[in-house]
Amino acid sequence: MIESRAQGGGAPTVQRMLVGARLRRLRTEMGLTREEAAEAIRASEWKIHRLENGQVGFKERDIVDLLRLYEVTDPEEVAEFLALAREANTPGWWQHYGDVLPAWFRTYVDLEAAATLIRTYEGQFVPGLLQTDDYMRAVVHGAHLEDTSDEVGRRVRLRMARQTVLTREQPPRLWAVVDEAALRRPVGGKEVMRGQLERLVEATKLPNVILQVLPFGSGAHPAMVGSFSILRFPDQELPDVVYLEHLTSAIYLNKPDEVDQYLHVMEGICVRAAAPDRTVELLDEILEEL
Amino acid sequence: MSEGQGTGAGPKLPREINTNVAHPARVYDYWLGGKDNFPADRALAEHIMEAIPTMRAMAAANRAFLTRAVRYLAGEAGIRQFLDIGTGIPTSPNVHEVAQATAPDTRVVYVDNDPIVLAHARALLTSQEAGETAFILADLREPKSIVDHPTLAATLDLDQPVAVMLVAVLMYFEDHDSPNPFEMVTTLLEPMPSGSYVAISHPTADFNAEAMGGAVAAARQSGVTLVARGQAEVEGFFTDLELVDPGVTPVLSWRPDEPPRDPRSAYYWAGVARKP
Repeated sequence: MIESRAQGGGAPTVQRMLVGARLRRLRTEMGLTREEAAEAIRASEWKIHRLENGQVGFKERDIVDLLRLYEVTDPEEVAEFLALAREANTPGWWQHYGDVLPAWFRTYVDLEAAATLIRTYEGQFVPGLLQTDDYMRAVVHGAHLEDTSDEVGRRVRLRMARQTVLTREQPPRLWAVVDEAALRRPVGGKEVMRGQLERLVEATKLPNVILQVLPFGSGAHPAMVGSFSILRFPDQELPDVVYLEHLTSAIYLNKPDEVDQYLHVMEGICVRAAAPDRTVELLDEILEEL
Repeated sequence: MSEGQGTGAGPKLPREINTNVAHPARVYDYWLGGKDNFPADRALAEHIMEAIPTMRAMAAANRAFLTRAVRYLAGEAGIRQFLDIGTGIPTSPNVHEVAQATAPDTRVVYVDNDPIVLAHARALLTSQEAGETAFILADLREPKSIVDHPTLAATLDLDQPVAVMLVAVLMYFEDHDSPNPFEMVTTLLEPMPSGSYVAISHPTADFNAEAMGGAVAAARQSGVTLVARGQAEVEGFFTDLELVDPGVTPVLSWRPDEPPRDPRSAYYWAGVARKP
């Protein structure tokens, strides 16, 4: 019913990549090889590879069999997954997740985990992957005043879990540019901010983290429109995905001309920002003036 | 790690980038399977591929020559300092990665005229602790601005031999340019001591005149100068230098890991020579 074919070898839609990335995560969490998964759906290892890269459409029967193998049995969860797979088979170049936070945020986490390069520009905050627990708590609390502290704690845990991606084996490279304004705003108070800035100094020592500061001195710049991330995936056929997070939703873009525009803006920011080898010096300055 | 700018006085990279015009670095990035390219780059890359359908494999062959040449220079030739001109978008393995695998204390100065390349280079081409990488934004059109650059002096010891890498870059200059590409090579090697090396690869029409002619025309249409040169002309770049074995050969035949099936299937000449 939901079978469809990749049209003419064209770029997979973001939704297909999302479903594929989630299948990959479920499989690896079970400690299964692609070969073992292939057996469950009477297919080749290559087919699993293509499914997980979002390069082919999804057959409902395959999804059901794989989910059973991955021990996803909650009927609601299965139904949600199938709905996502069905949607993924519908061509569309962007997807607007106006849903509750976990649903859209989890899809981002899946994509982030599948990425080999994460480029991000942040004008307001320290990038999520580099936030301290306390800083994150202050941000989440600030954005959701009505939330109970239980809810805040849950959101913080969800976001902290995401940071393990940077220290796993074969981690992705994070290339982040942060506006000086974000580094000077004492989110959560001076002590929280001090801890956060020290954390950033530590992060620059990770071989897979590149941090650049966009100083006030650079004046107006092309990304003043807002923060965004560009995710890159290992397979050559997979296009980059642009991710824009809003208060209640997120937008993913992978249409070539839109990705090109965001890539252009990102290159412009990286060229203007202070060189990565100046970051520690700039952070120390901000720490002193805090 | 340090960076600098070759032309102009300021220490900063130019603020404006231009992705509306094809840049060779990003055209090569496209052929090599990278994603750091823009419509103008892809259009030219595809246009050239209409003339040379195997262009992707040829670009990979050229890149593989870079790797083999650096391995030879860092290994057998004992070179510990490299000047890589026309670095391009970083593509693994990069010069310092190859060299530092043999000699971790190797120092590499990367030079390119594209601010995007430099932004990528300074972010991604980070050295091992024992060695060093540095970056210069400069144009080969002004070779003096490269050799006289303070970043070069701060990174390389010109009392010790240096290997100058000119891999697929001299073809962007005409014989009647001033300086011409032969003078560029001379100017770059001038301050280097005896025992220094130069490695060059260069596209040629010698193996398939029609295909290369199409590529040259396609580049010209996009406003990119592309000059194919014959074997004798490429040998001319090595005048007064001692070519190491096997001399100027098809790029696939220069100290190959395995003998190529058809050496003439990648349309570049390549060679490495020592300054006596």
